[in-house]
Amino acid sequence: MSTLPEKLSPLLAILSLIFITGAASANSPLTIAAANYPLKFFAEQIAGNQAKVAFPMPADIDPAFWQPNAEDIAALQKADLVLLNGAHYSKWLPKVSLSLFKQVNTSAVFRDQYIHQTSGVTHNHGEGGEHSHGETAFTTWLDFSLANLQAKSIYNALVKKRPASRQRFLIKLEKLQSRLSEFDHQLLELGKILNNAPLIGSHPVYQYLKNRYQLNLTSVHWEPEEAPNQQQWQAFQQLLEKHPSKWMIWEGQPAKETVEKLQSLGVSSIVFSPAGNIPDQGDFFSVMENNIQQLRSINPNP
Amino acid sequence: MDSLYLAWRYIVFNRIKTLTLITCITLICFLPLALKTLLSVSEQQLLARAAATELLVGAKGNPLDLAMNSLYFSNEQPDLITMQASERVYNSSLALPIPLYVRFQAREHPIVGTSVDYFDFRGLTLASGRHFAMLGECVIGADVAKKLNLNIGDKLLSSPKTLFDLGGIYPLQMTVTGVLKKSHSADDNAVFVDLKTTWVIEGLGHGHQDVEKITDKQSILSNKEKLVTASAKIKQYAEITTKNLESFHFHGDPSVYPISAVIAAPIDAKSATILMGRYLGKKERQQIIRPQSVIQELLNNIFQIKDFIDAIIWIVSGAMILALLLVFNLSFRLRQKEIDAIFHFGCNRLTIFQLMASEILIITLFSGILCGLGLLLLQQYQTVIFNFLFIK
Repeated sequence: MSTLPEKLSPLLAILSLIFITGAASANSPLTIAAANYPLKFFAEQIAGNQAKVAFPMPADIDPAFWQPNAEDIAALQKADLVLLNGAHYSKWLPKVSLSLFKQVNTSAVFRDQYIHQTSGVTHNHGEGGEHSHGETAFTTWLDFSLANLQAKSIYNALVKKRPASRQRFLIKLEKLQSRLSEFDHQLLELGKILNNAPLIGSHPVYQYLKNRYQLNLTSVHWEPEEAPNQQQWQAFQQLLEKHPSKWMIWEGQPAKETVEKLQSLGVSSIVFSPAGNIPDQGDFFSVMENNIQQLRSINPNP
Repeated sequence: MDSLYLAWRYIVFNRIKTLTLITCITLICFLPLALKTLLSVSEQQLLARAAATELLVGAKGNPLDLAMNSLYFSNEQPDLITMQASERVYNSSLALPIPLYVRFQAREHPIVGTSVDYFDFRGLTLASGRHFAMLGECVIGADVAKKLNLNIGDKLLSSPKTLFDLGGIYPLQMTVTGVLKKSHSADDNAVFVDLKTTWVIEGLGHGHQDVEKITDKQSILSNKEKLVTASAKIKQYAEITTKNLESFHFHGDPSVYPISAVIAAPIDAKSATILMGRYLGKKERQQIIRPQSVIQELLNNIFQIKDFIDAIIWIVSGAMILALLLVFNLSFRLRQKEIDAIFHFGCNRLTIFQLMASEILIITLFSGILCGLGLLLLQQYQTVIFNFLFIK
């Protein structure tokens, strides 16, 4: 016959677990913080009114390069879940202290599919040997099959927090995944239509898009709002000789002057926004629909 | 009353003899009681903390070193494991991991590298300030704040591993962001930082001048297309500030960075058993322990010694009581003339007995008060004495 403390020990363990994870009460909405807009959008779609999803990054920055202060992190420490993109997306993460239990690396399940780049200056001092501060490509959600997996990771984390709402979350996840799969199919088709036509990306953020949808895309390092300097134009013209693209894909609306100069070189500009931050208009779905529409405007056989 | 007054006057007149007697009686009473109190406190402290830490994962080796280092931050250093051990616990879905890296010190106080989850796990609350949030910040225990007179915003420098470790670990100036409420545990004496901060202290992460912008030729050994080799002259930061935080970075894969142990908080008793079973393989390089069992074993050994010490103390006390009886007896014999004189003055034998009894009463009363004060002081500083005896 088991003694009372023995009978209580599982209960105590569960209670202590709840205590440790700081779970909110079942009725109050979960407090979630997201490292980028796609994750915020996915979490909102899946959790509905069961969560308040905070996005602490300012509107005018790339969330990957957010530089939080101690107060920002203190606020994140109070969240029930912190949704991270993984793939070394959040450059601020190694410099801050967050609960290990609350962090959800939404891309951990496809860690082996990360795209590693070789760019970036390598340096060497002390015993550590050579190293580079460069780069794992991080705009994983532009491969919509991976975005699907990220949505599933968010669902799993939500279910762990609110097991009773599993069914409700599942219905919403399936709805979200259905939309993401639709985008995936459309882009796969589009990739075939583009038939290896050379494209240039304005910024190295399209690695997963290129990889999944078989785009013949090479990226430069330009900013939409900044006019390229003489050196950049020269490098661009050299690139055109090797990679004769007639389209340049921008993260955001490029400056008129740049568009005109590109036009004079026979290069048209289209916008494919990664939507890392909250869009000025619409939502993730509408931005992606527009992106696909823009890609459709490319005529591979002019 | 008269007997008490006369006894008091006699005691005051024979100060040295009285003090010797009081000291002897006080020690006879105090020593066994103090030992009993200390052992009881030690048992309570050691077991309570061990019981609150259901499972500990560490490198294979002495389980006592692992338990003492992880629970009480003692100087015994278990072999190191990597962050993969923490991930292993997490991926098991059987327990929640809290990694610990207890290796460095700051002004003779242990630096405990961990995650913010540790504070919730131990039920530690802040007396002031906030938890560490950024690299290079620390939260200090109540005793550290008191001893080093530190407050929020003050700086605390990590100590080199050894005095002559000039080429090794760089001291890191940490900023105090929070002071914990007193918990009467080893946490009062510790400096808590994020694991990543301990890795910076170890040199696995650092901040330095931007190698692409250095103009001093002596700082750069070579600058090929994609490889800059910096010399030892490159300026590395000894303090992490908002200005240089961006320059701090880590090299290599953080999953193989060192830690000393992982506290595993199992979901339930079954999960704990299953998890323990996973560390039984012959080729297993890690061990999982129940700290309560390890500490209980230690206490059993201590209690064996305690029984032995108890026996010695009782024998010595018995001998001292006999000696005291002899002293009193001899004293009364030496005072025979004095007793005869009192008798001739007209005091009856009962009054003389009352006089002698009053002397003994006053002496034992003083001894009792001193012994009580000693025990009160012991109880007041039991944690400090416990830490001194068992932790450092």
